[in-house]
Amino acid sequence: MIHVQQLTKRYEDLQRGRFTAVDGISFTAKRGEIFGLLGPNGAGKTTVLRILSTVLEPSEGIVTVAGYDVVRDPAEVRRSIGFVSNNTAIYDRMTAWEMVEYFGRLHGMRRDELRDRMEELFSQLRMDDFRDVPGGKMSTGMKQKVSIARAMIHDPPVLIFDEATLGLDVLVARNLLAVIRSLRDAGKCLIFSTHIMSEVERLCDKIAIMYRGKILDTGTLDELRQRHQEDDFEELFFGLLSQHERENGRVSDTAVERCEGDVLA
Amino acid sequence: MSRHSDASRTNATPSDQARWSAIWLIYLREMRDQLRDRRTLFTIAVLPIMLYPLVGMLLLQIAQFSRQHPTAVCLVGTEHLVDGPPLLEGESFATDLTEDSDAIEMMAYRWDELTGNSGSKNASQRNASDLDEMVREKAKRWVSEGAFDLVVLFPPDFKQTSLDQNLIGSANQETATPHSQIALYFNAGRDQSVVARGRVASILTAWRGEWIKERLSGVGIDPEVLLPFDWADQDMSPKQTRETAFWSKLLPFIMLVWAMTGAFYPAIDLVAGEKERGTLETLLCSPALRCEIVWGKLGAVATFSMLTALLNAGSMLMTSSLAFKHINIAGTSQAFGAPPLVPMLWLFVALIPLSCLFSALALAVAAMARSSKEGQYYLMPLMMVTLPLVMLPMLPGSTLNIGTSLIPVTGMFLLVRALVEGQYTTALFYLPMVATVTGVCLWAAARWARHQFENESVLFGGGEQWELGMWVRHLWRDRQQAATPAQAYACGAFILVTLFFARLSVAITPTDFAGIAKMIMLPQVLIVFPPLLMATMFTTSIRESLRIRMTHWTVLPLAVLFGVTLHPTYVMLSKFINHLYPVSAEAAEAMKPFAEQIGSASWTSVVLLMAVLPAFCEELAFRGFIFGGLVRERGKLRAVAITALMFGISHGVLQQSIAASLMGIVLGWITLRTGSILPCVLIHVTNNSLSVSLDRIASSGWEGAQMFVTQTELGPSYQPFWTLISMGVATTCLLYFGTMTPAIDESDAEIIADHQDYVDPTKSLIAANGV
Repeated sequence: MIHVQQLTKRYEDLQRGRFTAVDGISFTAKRGEIFGLLGPNGAGKTTVLRILSTVLEPSEGIVTVAGYDVVRDPAEVRRSIGFVSNNTAIYDRMTAWEMVEYFGRLHGMRRDELRDRMEELFSQLRMDDFRDVPGGKMSTGMKQKVSIARAMIHDPPVLIFDEATLGLDVLVARNLLAVIRSLRDAGKCLIFSTHIMSEVERLCDKIAIMYRGKILDTGTLDELRQRHQEDDFEELFFGLLSQHERENGRVSDTAVERCEGDVLA
Repeated sequence: MSRHSDASRTNATPSDQARWSAIWLIYLREMRDQLRDRRTLFTIAVLPIMLYPLVGMLLLQIAQFSRQHPTAVCLVGTEHLVDGPPLLEGESFATDLTEDSDAIEMMAYRWDELTGNSGSKNASQRNASDLDEMVREKAKRWVSEGAFDLVVLFPPDFKQTSLDQNLIGSANQETATPHSQIALYFNAGRDQSVVARGRVASILTAWRGEWIKERLSGVGIDPEVLLPFDWADQDMSPKQTRETAFWSKLLPFIMLVWAMTGAFYPAIDLVAGEKERGTLETLLCSPALRCEIVWGKLGAVATFSMLTALLNAGSMLMTSSLAFKHINIAGTSQAFGAPPLVPMLWLFVALIPLSCLFSALALAVAAMARSSKEGQYYLMPLMMVTLPLVMLPMLPGSTLNIGTSLIPVTGMFLLVRALVEGQYTTALFYLPMVATVTGVCLWAAARWARHQFENESVLFGGGEQWELGMWVRHLWRDRQQAATPAQAYACGAFILVTLFFARLSVAITPTDFAGIAKMIMLPQVLIVFPPLLMATMFTTSIRESLRIRMTHWTVLPLAVLFGVTLHPTYVMLSKFINHLYPVSAEAAEAMKPFAEQIGSASWTSVVLLMAVLPAFCEELAFRGFIFGGLVRERGKLRAVAITALMFGISHGVLQQSIAASLMGIVLGWITLRTGSILPCVLIHVTNNSLSVSLDRIASSGWEGAQMFVTQTELGPSYQPFWTLISMGVATTCLLYFGTMTPAIDESDAEIIADHQDYVDPTKSLIAANGV
């Protein structure tokens, strides 16, 4: 459902100059699968997911979502995805019901079809008791539920969760993870980014570990454990990161040495 | 799967086509959202409805208040008014001397009352001039302290002089001693005092008239000789015009200012505010297209802009009609009557396009802000730029003509004024021009707004803290082959600002050739210096950033040919522009020595100074560095339009600026097609050389030249047949330039930013810290 090939994203940044946020990554996520993107803050996870949702354009590489190219068919891609993140806030002066209805209408759903779908979603996510609460008065958990309902209203084949559990209390986060699992069972393709390792361990079928714009390794949890001979996932993660750091450090050291050699010669 | 997606792709509506239903949905949501906002409702609905009645009430109160404080005048030296017609009647001025019904509160003193010792023997002991000084000091103090608005002194000598000058002819200024004059002490810093002075001066003038009459009749001459004729004013303007004269000026202004304000706040809230709250990203990853979002939001902002303007204008009209009805009972002049309601309906015609224009501009500018607060900072400059266009038609004497109709906003404003005043034929005549200009502005503004929404660096960029040192390092470290658009804008702005100050510093036109040479060279140096400096410091290739590139060899001779054949058209255009916006007589007079010096200097030096030097300097700056920066990031149209505008403004004189802007568009297009400034330099040199040597060619006496150029009393001019032929040739040249493919701009310059060999410089630092 999601194919990413040699995706690179660069942008201008005052502090770091021309900065490569995502550096030639490739991965594939299939239907009925939860693909986890794990990495520390600033690894480029959000950039990747924003490219998948066509909000940002890739600098290089090919990205297709549900068969549509994100550059050539952004509108079709957006029709096939639901995007939930911490940044996708909800409108303060709209009630939960209006908010979900609005996005359903934007997806071009017919009124009766939309009403049925909304009734179903609201009861499934247990949102009926705050149907008419405006966004400004909702708790974080309520808001996140509305966001999920908003993303699922058109029953998209692909769902993207960008650090969706950030800032949620245990109860709500747990609820959210249950929803995600049920979505996988319904045959959706889910891509889920986080920096919380336990969530990945519990949830994801396939994991990609991202650091500094690169995917350090990818595979199922078992594959990763076997490959790196490390049972503890946290140790595995930090091992990969420090290994990358060492390699990178050596590379830039040699680069510096070479430059100095040039000057001397 | 791919077959299926191909099928659905062809079945699906083209993805860049906006759907009305989506625009309507977004529009409705934004409207509902704004209407649920208490602050918005207050500003657009409650405030105008409350504001005008409240202000009206306050004004009435103030008017009453100020009426209770009539002009306070003090007369000193009443005992010196013995002769001539009466000035005073009891404790006030004689009624036949004044037409003004407003009361003047008057205090009259005798001169010796102020000296404080009337009748005592000290008075005679004191020096008379000392006493005089004392009274004057006291009068000055009264005025400066505000005890009286005006003090009128009739000095002791006044009586003497008035008696002396009983005969006609002896009343001339030279014999009058300063101490015999009536003195009016007033304070120009206080309005009340100035008014008092005016009123008393007119009373004194009338009084003097009485004197003259009296004296003339004294020597047996009929005073009527002083009034050989009289005249009567007859206002021929239609009744509608007269009634609306005041309102047709004020109301559009009020309405436009409110349309602007009404657009700003929703625009900030709908773009910058949504960015701040994160809801914009939610919307961006919905199936709504960027253009649908822009149109929906634009519609909502324009609606609010119009509503604000309408409510304000309506409330003001209503309040003022009631207020004027009330005041009219008291009796006011006719010119200030109640506003006529029906003609004001024309205002709505103008309101729609102008509201849309302001809304699009506000939306585009607000898109740059990351928060509502930041948005307010950005909209202030926009207001500063737009306000003069609204103020311009308020100036006395600005009427609808071809010149003003071509100015955006101003033209629309004047057109509406003509409609309101009932001049339908005039309005109809200028309608196409005004409509075209407004349409173009609207299109450009809407395009800009859309462009902003498609630009991810505008929507997501710039979250980090700005710091001067870091920024300077960034400028140096991230140098690219050509300038960035921001650097190009900065360069252009810098040039224009320095030129402005340079022009101010040259106060007088020099009269010798060396002075003129300096005067011409200074701006050119100022024009070429910033781009050269910036090209050296901020780019990796001076040649590339200044667009000095070799073109196909055929382009260069064709550029010269184009320059020669375009010149007749250019001359015609300049004449037309001078006809539209005539040069003032003083300006023409000031330019005369300049033209004479140029005419008598050697041809070579004139061409070098006025053709070659400006061509190189201006092309390097405008078509080189600035164009090179602006053309990147798919900014072809932007590059052509903005360099033409900057090129025009850099010429300083309005007539030249317009011609240069149009020329700038042609040159910009040619450099876009050929990818180089060389043809532009050649065209520029040829054009300027012909301009400075046309006079010499016409008067050279060579027969061949006479075929092309003739000498007329208005200066040299081209033969009509040559003008016609040259137009054809110039068009052909243009078509040829059009066939060129700008290989460089389209491929390389766009992706200059992406150096493949780029290494993140912070990597080594972080690695070093980590190890």
